[in-house]
Amino acid sequence: MSKGIVLVVDDEAQIRDILGFYLKRAGYQVLTAENGNEALEVMGKVQPDLILSDLRMPGMAGDEFCRIIKGGPETRDIYFVLVSAMDGSATKIGGLNLGADDMIAKPFHAQEVMAKVESAFRIIGMQKEIKRQNLELTGFQDRMTTELAIAARLQMGLLPSLPGAAPGFRYTHRYLPAEGIGGDIYSIVPLVDGSLALLIADVSGHGVTAALISAMVKTSFESHVRPGGNPLSWAVGMNRDLARNTLSEQFATAFLARIDPSTGAMQYVVAGHVGPIHIPNGAQGGLHRPHVLAGHGFMLGIEEDLPFEEKSAKFDHGDRLVLFTDGLVEVEREDRKLLGEDGLLRLCAELPQSEEAASDFLVNAAKSFNDPAPFVDDVTLVILDRV
Amino acid sequence: MLNIQTHQEGNASVVTIQGKVNFEVTAQLRDVIRDTVTTHQPKLMVINLEGVTFIDSSGLGLLVAARNSVDKNNGKLHLCGLPAQVKKTFDQTNLTNYFSIFATEQDALRGA
Repeated sequence: MSKGIVLVVDDEAQIRDILGFYLKRAGYQVLTAENGNEALEVMGKVQPDLILSDLRMPGMAGDEFCRIIKGGPETRDIYFVLVSAMDGSATKIGGLNLGADDMIAKPFHAQEVMAKVESAFRIIGMQKEIKRQNLELTGFQDRMTTELAIAARLQMGLLPSLPGAAPGFRYTHRYLPAEGIGGDIYSIVPLVDGSLALLIADVSGHGVTAALISAMVKTSFESHVRPGGNPLSWAVGMNRDLARNTLSEQFATAFLARIDPSTGAMQYVVAGHVGPIHIPNGAQGGLHRPHVLAGHGFMLGIEEDLPFEEKSAKFDHGDRLVLFTDGLVEVEREDRKLLGEDGLLRLCAELPQSEEAASDFLVNAAKSFNDPAPFVDDVTLVILDRV
Repeated sequence: MLNIQTHQEGNASVVTIQGKVNFEVTAQLRDVIRDTVTTHQPKLMVINLEGVTFIDSSGLGLLVAARNSVDKNNGKLHLCGLPAQVKKTFDQTNLTNYFSIFATEQDALRGA
């Protein structure tokens, strides 16, 4: 194995021979050419790591050759050393301006040339290492991007499938994670007694950690609702699950509800979450009086055994519930005004009739509040209509 | 922009936070609180939120974690100077009942 390939370009055979001798003795493979044209021909077959080229040669001279090498995307990384008499027609700066990596003055000592070659190969080695690492990093980044895209698709798969329907209800959602994958989650589970269990939650933070916890939140919710019970018992159970299984900084705000379609009775728990908006008769579209389902309470996962409070309300035929995470309303305009829950409440006073059109209307209105800046937080919107 | 300053008042450590407390700055704030707890092992830590213009759930999480780490050292955490906007967030999340909250830094230091 040679230490590398050096191309010696000089019209004087004697110089080619001397340099060739020393280079071979030092362990390099040597190619030779009499001028630029011949050198390019040689390079058509073998690409050298280093070029030692005379400046003045009949045919293509060294400056022209250097320009071609440094101008070609395939060849510009080849280390180029111009060998020339520094007699006014050629200066070191002039040579470096041509793009040469270094210069050697003629007449030269073979040892000086060899020292330059050795140092050039150290630099070439480092450049190769950087290129290799760069390639490795790019590969790593590509794999991460692919993995995140897969995770994002998986997370989408955790959401209820659309068009959403449960006995007595229709619903839809808009799910816009800030970083491809996010900490928002919602779930709608029809229970055996005919009522509907409902969750929307927002895990603190963003990205992969939040996404993992959001999956945990959904699993916890679904395991607590299956046996029945009420939102209060669900919240207590989920709080315990999260407090035990996450770090102290990680928790989730949540709204949990149970709606019985036979009576229209709704029980709910607000766990640090923004209160959903209830629009009586809202499923028919048009002008209505929306109001916030009031309530407050601890977020889930801070500490075991924190108390929660359950409230009740009526959710009649034709009523609409707008559930959301705070990313939807925490859009800040340049004048620092937030859309806020009040802003959303105003928008909810007159929504299109279909859940799909109403969702698009709300998301677009929130977006245009701070156009063209994107949402900075994860955004989830769910519209649930009782038919 | 977030501005964090710390000083000692007798056995108490006071951390003053100004600006927007959100996901992007929690790492910085977490370091300051951890360093203060490690260095001074305070019996009382006061976090002054008077200059906070906005706090999101990551910021709240950080305060909960701060309480836990001060608790572990048998210390107490007092919060003070909550602006109306922050107070609203605390009310919504019931954290008003989770933390010891005082109107002014002096009150928080006296613990009254």
